[in-house]
Amino acid sequence: MNSQTPVTPADQSLLYPSPFKEFWHAFSRNKGAVAGLAFMLLVVFCALFAPWVAPHDPSEQFRDALLTPPSWLEGGRFTFLLGTDEVGRDLLSRLIHGARLSLLIGLSSVVMSLIPGILLGLLAGFFPRLMGPAITRVMDVMLALPSLLLAVAIVAILGPGLINTVIAIAVVSLPSYVRLTRAAVMGELHRDYVTAARLAGASLPRLMFVTVLPNCLAPLIVQATLSFSSAILDAAALGFLGLGVQPPTPEWGTMLASARDYIERAWWVVSLPGLTILLSVLAINLMGDGLRDALDPKLKNAI
Amino acid sequence: MALLDINNLSVRFGDKNAVPVVDGLSLTVERGEVLAIVGESGSGKSVTMMALMGLVDAPGIITADSMQFDGNDMLRLGRRQRRKVVGKDLAMVFQDPMTALNPSYTVGFQIEEVLRAHLGLTGKAARQRALELLRKVEIPAPESRLDAYPHQLSGGMSQRVAIAMAIAGEPKLLIADEPTTALDVTIQAQIMELLLSLQKEQNMTLILITHDLAVVAETARRVCVMYAGQAVELGQVPQLFDEPAHPYSEALLAAIPEHSQGAARLATLPGMVPGRYDRPHGCLLSPRCPYAQANCREQRPALDPKRQSLARCFYPLNQEVA
Amino acid sequence: MSVVLTARELTRHYEVPTGLFKPHALVRALNGVSFQLEAGKTLAVVGESGCGKSTLARALTLIEQPTSGSLQIGGREVAGANKAERKAMRRDVQMVFQSPYASLNPRQKVGDQLAEPLLINTDLSREQRREKVQAMMHQVGLRPEHYQRYPHMFSGGQRQRIALARAMMLQPKVLVADEPTSALDVSIQAQVLNLFMDLQQQYRTAYVFISHNLAVVRHVADDVLVMYLGRPAEMGPKEDLYANPLHPYTQALLSATPTIKPDPAKPRIKIAGELPNPLNPPPGCAFHKRCPYATDRCATEVPAFRPVGTRQVACHYAERFVAA
Repeated sequence: MNSQTPVTPADQSLLYPSPFKEFWHAFSRNKGAVAGLAFMLLVVFCALFAPWVAPHDPSEQFRDALLTPPSWLEGGRFTFLLGTDEVGRDLLSRLIHGARLSLLIGLSSVVMSLIPGILLGLLAGFFPRLMGPAITRVMDVMLALPSLLLAVAIVAILGPGLINTVIAIAVVSLPSYVRLTRAAVMGELHRDYVTAARLAGASLPRLMFVTVLPNCLAPLIVQATLSFSSAILDAAALGFLGLGVQPPTPEWGTMLASARDYIERAWWVVSLPGLTILLSVLAINLMGDGLRDALDPKLKNAI
Repeated sequence: MALLDINNLSVRFGDKNAVPVVDGLSLTVERGEVLAIVGESGSGKSVTMMALMGLVDAPGIITADSMQFDGNDMLRLGRRQRRKVVGKDLAMVFQDPMTALNPSYTVGFQIEEVLRAHLGLTGKAARQRALELLRKVEIPAPESRLDAYPHQLSGGMSQRVAIAMAIAGEPKLLIADEPTTALDVTIQAQIMELLLSLQKEQNMTLILITHDLAVVAETARRVCVMYAGQAVELGQVPQLFDEPAHPYSEALLAAIPEHSQGAARLATLPGMVPGRYDRPHGCLLSPRCPYAQANCREQRPALDPKRQSLARCFYPLNQEVA
Repeated sequence: MSVVLTARELTRHYEVPTGLFKPHALVRALNGVSFQLEAGKTLAVVGESGCGKSTLARALTLIEQPTSGSLQIGGREVAGANKAERKAMRRDVQMVFQSPYASLNPRQKVGDQLAEPLLINTDLSREQRREKVQAMMHQVGLRPEHYQRYPHMFSGGQRQRIALARAMMLQPKVLVADEPTSALDVSIQAQVLNLFMDLQQQYRTAYVFISHNLAVVRHVADDVLVMYLGRPAEMGPKEDLYANPLHPYTQALLSATPTIKPDPAKPRIKIAGELPNPLNPPPGCAFHKRCPYATDRCATEVPAFRPVGTRQVACHYAERFVAA
């Protein structure tokens, strides 16, 4: 039965789509995720090119046009597409500039909690006796406090402002990264490929960052996406409480707070920033769900 | 009339044009028979039985000319009627006994539930019957095992419990899907022996799904060899092992280490089973078959009677009349 | 013939917590295993679950320290070696695992995984590493295009080839293979077994081949070690052991293994009962509760692992079974 005739063995590995294509195939099957991605691309575009996209300067006050309603309502003016606020600033321009700040807060707080979170999680997972209990106990304590309260306390100590808001949000979302990384690491550590890398003589940093970490990334990416949205929400909440970004900087939460007195007379001043927050958070969460499905290795191996 | 008669069964996942996982399978099983279905992973042997029991979920599509089991048309059976048949007259034992039992309930409860659903037994009667069943599958100290949870049992014990649940409704047909693969060698022998003695005792039909030809040789009377979703050879046990008609059967037998004792190398079939991207146009084995001719690559052979069995091959082996 | 691996009375015990206030239980996962292995030879370790074969594999590959006993790799004692020496010894013992799905890093390209041992242990340049990897890939029957692929794109058989290639990259003296073909289909198993034999012939690597499949073992092994509950039961040359098993457990294993040519005349040795719980092993001979020949002596006295003819057997009555 040894092959005397030349045969071309079927080679399925060469017919496989590239990892990115495979990911996109799985991701694009989820319509909600694609819609979320499209909306977020729009927001990112607005944020990147805010000075060119926005029709007006966000802090320019049009004294002759206080509380102008959106253009499609009676009394609305076409120059102020979404109307103006109590001091005559163009709402659309402020929302577009606010996107910059919200994305910045989201991104930087995610980065600031993701990196230390991964490091602590790796240490806790790799040294289950030395560091594991200590690190997890501290994280448990942090989880025992209501997150917004903790954030408020941190801002109260550090003082309000953009950077302190970011720090507060980063600290609050740290425990989830640590726990997630630790759980993923402990799951992967017992797998044979880690043993194989040990047998090859891999050093501890190599084991941590080259061998194990890439295999723990899928849940972390999903968590990062979801906490991006909760960072935007937290920032808005802190801004609403007057502890976040200070006026006149256009920030969605702060806008919401400063306009709440006009809710009866001019609904758009409150509703539009609120709607923007809602839509962005929804879009990111939909995207996160799509990512989770696309990156889940259990689903990927199913044929 | 045969107990089970499957005619031209195909199972696809996805749409109507997807590559079939089971491809035009026809199979007749008589009452009281032991039939083995042999094939490598992905050959469609398990999916066939899932399709029979109506356990293929969407996006799976089942098509067949007919599928008769004990007078029931399994294709057109309603949900309610199907539940009456499957689990009672048609039962199954799975590969991994640890996952086949629900870890949240005791062994006794799980057996009693089958008894209640299919025989209407409740209370004392059900418990008594459960105890009898555990005795029948030769579990030591069955009284104490009734209240045990699955995680307190070893693999062999769990498989015995799974068998007890399967035979609770006194099935006419028992399908055992790799029942011993997950077990240790000495336990494997015990479980196979138990299955065969139950089969004889209750005169039930046993379909044994396996990848292990040695198990087939020791247990079955008739064997169906599957390759890439098709039945490639159907024959009686000693004949098929001595004189396989299909090149794939021959290759499977030759690849067993026991077959080439003393030789430095094992005989192998080059390449691997075709996947969804590279299904051959002609005979499914043609890219790997050492005997393949030009027309093997062009046309699909049918499953035709050959000298000693049914084989799906244009140039079957061992055909010369001795 | 040079001896590359020597194990003497290798023992590994684990402490298992049994409850909050109860004392720890001691599991004797590996109990006094001794053997010698020459270059180019294969020792097969056979046994059922809980027999200690995986613990043996972990001890031989220096993943775990033995509780007691001595292990020599290439003539050098492992215990007492310093860090650099251990690293050098570790190169000499590599391993192939049971599941080809868990033993490859899913997020690393095949080429990078094969190059990793070279990257860590040698000073070869990127180009030289690539060259060596390509040569090894060719040898195990992979195509050059596979270098850039990820493991999930391969079938089980191909993955096991990759795992074997990775283990052979540093040309180890000893390769420990833990059930390397039990997850594979019969025809693929034959391909992989052939590859094992080819590589052994070329590099004169010594194999420790762990398996529960006696048919596979009969094909690959020179010597066979049968283990039961952490202890050696019988060890000897393959031909003798298969022709005339001396330990009742070996007899039972051989009898329980299904064969494609069943001989109805051959008496079946039925052994009843389950494998004993390693937390609570029976006193005396671990096999006595399932053994058809057990006497009172077996229930009290642990049989010594003693030479009988060409073999070593741990049974009080081994002589009884010696074929005339």
